[in-house]
Amino acid sequence: MSLTFRILLILAAIWAFRFVIIEIRKSKLQITDSLSWFFITLVFILLALFPQIAEHAAELLHIQSPVNLVYLVVIAILIFRIFLLTVRVSQLDNKVKELTQRLAIDETDEEDEKK
Amino acid sequence: MSIKVLVIIPAYNEAGNIERVVGNLEKNYPQLDYVVINDGSRDDTAEICRKNSFHLIDQPVNLGLSGTFQTGIKYAYSHGYDAAVQFDGDGQHRPEYIEQMAEEIEKGADIVIGSRFVNEEKPKSLRMFGSNIIQTLIRLTSGRNIKDPTSGMRMYSRRVMRILAFNMNMGPEPDTVAYLARCGAKVKEIQVIMDERIAGESYLNLSASARYMMVMSVSILLIGAFRPKIKLQEGSV
Repeated sequence: MSLTFRILLILAAIWAFRFVIIEIRKSKLQITDSLSWFFITLVFILLALFPQIAEHAAELLHIQSPVNLVYLVVIAILIFRIFLLTVRVSQLDNKVKELTQRLAIDETDEEDEKK
Repeated sequence: MSIKVLVIIPAYNEAGNIERVVGNLEKNYPQLDYVVINDGSRDDTAEICRKNSFHLIDQPVNLGLSGTFQTGIKYAYSHGYDAAVQFDGDGQHRPEYIEQMAEEIEKGADIVIGSRFVNEEKPKSLRMFGSNIIQTLIRLTSGRNIKDPTSGMRMYSRRVMRILAFNMNMGPEPDTVAYLARCGAKVKEIQVIMDERIAGESYLNLSASARYMMVMSVSILLIGAFRPKIKLQEGSV
């Protein structure tokens, strides 16, 4: 891995870290949800500081260049995050539905009681 | 006890415990106000509370402990209570200590922790190893020595209730205690005895515990350094 690429990784990590901290400070992000982003920054920094990790792993998996392995890892993490996000959206969707139904039914019950 | 205290009892799938726990509270401590908050349980927790005409807030969907506890804090704050205490629905906590905790709030404490380890030695187990790590992290970041940071039995003063009720990331967990301590809240521990839960299951299994430790460590050590300090209003209670 070239030095430029490694510096780029570290810059990306710092940028991501800053972003997460800013959102937490503004009370727009829950700490429990921020954990995976800290994990991603950590992975970036480890890959940049210890290029041997990517080199060995690339060799092991018969991938031509370590950089390609880094791409692969990043894409894999992203796909996994998107999947978890989809699950989360589904759950939220369901909660909103249940809340709406409960609210609407309660309102009807109240009106029926008045009659 | 001259201040008004609300006992907040979060309950998720506590059908096996809730009748005994709240029944004991009503029978032996009738002077205490309490509210059970059912967190969208899938068992009969809410039905049992209605049958016994317990004071109940019934959440239609599951919010998790922090959202459920916040419901209780919002209720306590808007109804003018001077302090609120978290009291588990599984029978681990004993109501006999609530009065003593309230006295500490009266004396000016902001957070009173019902602590297992003020005078007692911490036993050596995996769970207590986790407790030790959190204790060390809090000491490193705030300089306070909190001997039982993971105890769920905590009482909060009104000025802290206001912060807990209306802000994000203020769950009833050690990182919140650490953060509030850094903001200048006075934390006090009193020695209590806790019982084992009788029925049902703790939500902290091994993988959940590992995640819990990760979140707490990152939150106390890393995020805590960057969170803006909230000003506690002058004059408690």
